[in-house]
Amino acid sequence: MSYLEVSSLSKAFGQQPVFEDIHFSLQEGELVTLLGPSGCGKSTLLRCIAGLTDVDSGRITVAGLDITRMPPQKRNIGMVFQSYALFPNLRVADNIAFGLRVKNLPADECAQRVADVVRLVELGGHEDKYVHQLSGGQRQRVALARALVVRPRILLLDEPLSALDARIRKNLQEEIRRIQQQIRLTTVFVTHDQEEALILSDRIFLMNAGRIVQSGSAESVYTRPESRFVAGFMGNYNLLDAAAARALLGLDVKGHLAIRPESIHVVLPGETPLANQGKSYPAVVQQHQLLGNVIRYVVDSGGCRLMVDLLNRSASSLLAQGATVQLQFNAEELQEVA
Amino acid sequence: MRAEHYHKAVVWLFTAVLGIPVLATLLYSLSQRWGATILPEGLTLDWYLRLWQDTRFLAAFGHSLLIAAATLALSTLLIVPTAFVVFYYFPRLERWMNILILMQFAVPPVVSSVGLLQLYAEGPLPIIGTPWVLVGCYFTIALPFMYRSVSNGLKAIHVHDLMDAAHLLGASTPHAFLTIILPNIRKSLLASLFLSFSLLLGDFVFANMLVGARYETLNVYLFSVRATSGHFTSAIVMSYFLFALGVTWIATRLSRQTDL
Repeated sequence: MSYLEVSSLSKAFGQQPVFEDIHFSLQEGELVTLLGPSGCGKSTLLRCIAGLTDVDSGRITVAGLDITRMPPQKRNIGMVFQSYALFPNLRVADNIAFGLRVKNLPADECAQRVADVVRLVELGGHEDKYVHQLSGGQRQRVALARALVVRPRILLLDEPLSALDARIRKNLQEEIRRIQQQIRLTTVFVTHDQEEALILSDRIFLMNAGRIVQSGSAESVYTRPESRFVAGFMGNYNLLDAAAARALLGLDVKGHLAIRPESIHVVLPGETPLANQGKSYPAVVQQHQLLGNVIRYVVDSGGCRLMVDLLNRSASSLLAQGATVQLQFNAEELQEVA
Repeated sequence: MRAEHYHKAVVWLFTAVLGIPVLATLLYSLSQRWGATILPEGLTLDWYLRLWQDTRFLAAFGHSLLIAAATLALSTLLIVPTAFVVFYYFPRLERWMNILILMQFAVPPVVSSVGLLQLYAEGPLPIIGTPWVLVGCYFTIALPFMYRSVSNGLKAIHVHDLMDAAHLLGASTPHAFLTIILPNIRKSLLASLFLSFSLLLGDFVFANMLVGARYETLNVYLFSVRATSGHFTSAIVMSYFLFALGVTWIATRLSRQTDL
């Protein structure tokens, strides 16, 4: 039986629907990501689960308990906000203890639980500081600690890392995943960053225009897009229409053919094509882009412009503009999308 | 370089225009006699000693403080929750509130006094003749300063996120307001309270027209003793000025401290 179950959920602001007929469920201890572009309704959906925004119709249950119309105070759901929403007038320890004091827990139990969660999020030594004395990463840890200390049934994270710089964001992604797995907390993470979703999630629910357009494991959503939108959002897929697919590969497709740039095998001049990758197609390098550990080439093959990613193994192996290579396509990686 | 001298000269001239009357009043309040001579004939604190031993002055000063404090207590109780409710629940009302709070500037004090006399003469709150009519009147004077300051204070913090966070941690709306929102707008509120306080202490028109000698306030007292001695009235003015200066200084310091 699912732990969190959302069924037929709809919400509109006036005449403008935010999301419609949303269904999904989570197992206990699972971390799922609601992923999608800005304005797709993912944050509003999260707020509806928290009880901060009313739903128009549908049902939300946690462990079989219907919480659809329950006020947020009674849901026992923790949430970390994009703006942190820390209380500026309180010290770190008081911020964390706020929820415990509201519940009138004994002072010694409050102190013990605050100390435990401070250790968990590695905030030791900062308990007596005010929020404005902390860095962005430390503030996010306080927000996480404050949400965790009340031992919520579900943890909701609303783009919690979007205001942080890349290095801190990466560290905190690992921290969040470590803590979530350590305490086996059912977690819903909202982000518009597909890379973040791939790193963190057990499963991804990809949203667009108020609907979940695809869901599944990170790997399946990334490698098996079901629509052009998913292919475009999840990666830098090459999308070939039916005519281009027929001209290049001789394949008949109804919609489009999506090919991941890194799945294309490049046979460099002087190399032999791989025996198990089928036919090879000549292509001319038009330009390249250095992405760090990967070099992205734009090549022309039979009149089709394709992006091809190669590992940046050696600076001397860079292909010059106009160089001729052979391309091989793994049939299993060619994905037909609607 | 020449431009810098010019700018400095303008600033000093402006300061002199503002400062000379105050310094002259201070000097006059400290002089024994200053009539036929260019400079005062001896300095003394006698006028201040006489003033601060005058029970009528002390009573008038106490009345002014009491009325101002009562007004600000009423204003805090009404304006702070109103500003919060408008900001949090009905943000569309903000523009109407902005018009409402400025309406008192559109009505001259004399006209307003007549209107207030009619309003409080009968009906549910017949308080004409009592000092409490001044509280009702002064509320309208404090309203724009306090509402704007509190509203700005609310805009400076993430009210909705803070309230949402508090709600999710189990706090009721009044609890969240009192423990989270109010402490975070404390400085805006205090700054507006001190500014309004010094403003209300300076009122003469409303106090004289609505209550007059029945409940003598500081400025009504000053008006009634204007003919006794220029040195004495200068001591009153300087005492009031220094008190108001101190209160305004506190208000300015508080409004500068935006971070907790």
